[in-house]
Amino acid sequence: MRRGKFWKTESGLAFFFLLPACVFLLLFMFYPIVYVILMSFFKVNKLGDLVGFFGFGNFRFMFDRPEFWQIIVRSCVWTALAVAVKTGIGLVIALLLNVDFRGRKVARGLVIIPWASSVPISAMIWQWTYNNDFGLLNHTLRTLRIFGEPPIWLAEPRSAFFANLWVDIWCGIPFMALVFLAGLQAIPQELYEAAEVDGATPFAKFRFVTLPLLSNVLTVATLLSILWTFNDFNVIYVLTGGGPGTSTDILITYIYKYAFQYLRFGPAAAMAVITFVILLTVSILYARSYFKGGGVY
Amino acid sequence: MRRWIVGCVVVVVMMLLLSAFAGAQKKVSILWMEYDGLTPDYALNLEKAFEEANPGVDLEIISTPWDLGHDRLISLLAGKEPPDLAVIGTRWLLELLDMDVVEPIEKWVSKDLLNNIDPALMEGKVKGVLYGLPVAAGTRLMYYRSDIIDKAPETFEEMLQIALKIHKPEEKFYAVGMSGKKYVELTEYAYYLFGNGGYFFEILPDGSYGKCTVNDEAGVGALAFMNDLVNKYKVTQPGVTAYRRDELQDLFIAGNLGIFLSGGFTAALLEQRGVTFKWDVAPMPHFEGKPQSTIIITDSIVLFKDSDAKEEAGKFLDFFYSDPWRIQFDKMVGFPPVTKSLANDPFFQKPVYKVMIEQIPNAKGWPLIPEWPECNDIIWDNIVATFLGEKDPKTAMDDAAREIDALRGM
Repeated sequence: MRRGKFWKTESGLAFFFLLPACVFLLLFMFYPIVYVILMSFFKVNKLGDLVGFFGFGNFRFMFDRPEFWQIIVRSCVWTALAVAVKTGIGLVIALLLNVDFRGRKVARGLVIIPWASSVPISAMIWQWTYNNDFGLLNHTLRTLRIFGEPPIWLAEPRSAFFANLWVDIWCGIPFMALVFLAGLQAIPQELYEAAEVDGATPFAKFRFVTLPLLSNVLTVATLLSILWTFNDFNVIYVLTGGGPGTSTDILITYIYKYAFQYLRFGPAAAMAVITFVILLTVSILYARSYFKGGGVY
Repeated sequence: MRRWIVGCVVVVVMMLLLSAFAGAQKKVSILWMEYDGLTPDYALNLEKAFEEANPGVDLEIISTPWDLGHDRLISLLAGKEPPDLAVIGTRWLLELLDMDVVEPIEKWVSKDLLNNIDPALMEGKVKGVLYGLPVAAGTRLMYYRSDIIDKAPETFEEMLQIALKIHKPEEKFYAVGMSGKKYVELTEYAYYLFGNGGYFFEILPDGSYGKCTVNDEAGVGALAFMNDLVNKYKVTQPGVTAYRRDELQDLFIAGNLGIFLSGGFTAALLEQRGVTFKWDVAPMPHFEGKPQSTIIITDSIVLFKDSDAKEEAGKFLDFFYSDPWRIQFDKMVGFPPVTKSLANDPFFQKPVYKVMIEQIPNAKGWPLIPEWPECNDIIWDNIVATFLGEKDPKTAMDDAAREIDALRGM
């Protein structure tokens, strides 16, 4: 085919329309990724310029710091707990919203509110909610006499961690619920009817019809949730800034501190690369499991 | 159809002409910090008034909360998009000089302006070169409830005795405010450290900073006392590690604190919010047998080398430092005036300004070292570890000093 004619074919047209998106991706996705990878192997000055090859020096610097390993473990625990709870609650909400009842549309609208509101603003509202003296949560707990003296949520490492975790979960539940709901609605009703004819209990229907047919949706939704939760900067930055001390820092907030507070762009880039490797590994494992199972339902 | 095309062409040409006209204006941007007490209207009015006085200049004031200011400035610099001017904590200046981004400012502002600033406040002068003009400078002092406390304590030991008497946690009234959550700087510890005759680093004969000294007797003693207030005598608000300085200030304004150590801006806020209780100010307490000392904090305004509107930026500085704008600014932020022409203004003869000025001779500033933000965090983290009972004061400060010395290659 002559070159001029190619662009008049359907494939040519497809390439033509894809071109702007490709250029955009190259400029705004691949260039920063490649530059960060380069930074991690170079000495970097305070303006982010590469000034000399450093090999694995930036990685060694981070690996030698005991708190770095604590933060890696914390990031993984944070992600695992948050995604597990979001998946569980999201699934329950989706199952409830899938039942036909009066006011279902209103309930669906209400569920989406945390997802629709901006995360930093939600985090700021929760910061006030957690306030010991003026916050709604402790006021309610005191009034209802559930706690004589409720914890000061953001003051202790453990309670601060769980307070952050809950806000992340609160923000993420609507997404999971809506995706699961969409998945549930795609399951043919006849399968449930057939199960009923076979005498299946509601649990058996869930176990042998709903879950298997929802598994691909579950895989995709949890993968996305893992990626977002691992990189959730907003909630922790607004609520505790990684404190008390560094007890609620996860990798992403630690990267920010090194880059923009201490101007150590090299170690920050090394941590960004480590984050990239961790999330890429998780994504590949998920993709393998997804395609093994036959892909999209 | 032809009419439609002609119409479109006319619109495009007009837009091009307009944009060319707009391009003729020189743009000056300033990263502006949101001081407590400074209303957003001030920045808007300043911008409008300056543009009216200088029709060829388009001024852009980029307002930023203080606690995000450093990181935002660094993001702009690292992104090679620095503003023309920025308000900075003067302690960041060495970090910026290390990055080689700051322009000597002297030749861009008028002689009148330079002569109108007290030379003692020119902390932005490094090795004889002036890089920053002081925006605000003030010592930190003590606020107390004069309706509950008859006489302000002079020492921290006296403060403890008073605290034991007035602390009523069951009524949500706490004797002493203590912040344990990071907020811009490590001021809380500095109050007790300086009042105990200590400092963060040894000062070498040439004026440079030697090894970290927070683990000496003064440093450990200061932290031990703070920790006793929090954990032994329990006279602070509960959960100190959850409170930033600004949140603590809200607690004092709400009437829940007896004693609060802070800056002049708190007085401005107390007046603006019209609190109903009686309050007063006093010099920062010190430990018995130690000289009175507090921290003096100066903020500066700097010009960046990459600015292509240095002349216009200089014009803005002359405008901003003129009496009508400075007096509004100083009144709102609660710092004593930095310009000589306002020093005798009746407004600045109030007790809060008198105390701030009287403390200046014995006051100490932040260490001017490029690694200070990281040193600051290291000390903070170890103080928090002490409050949480994870470390004793001696171990915490030993760890902090060791880590800081290693960081600075000492």
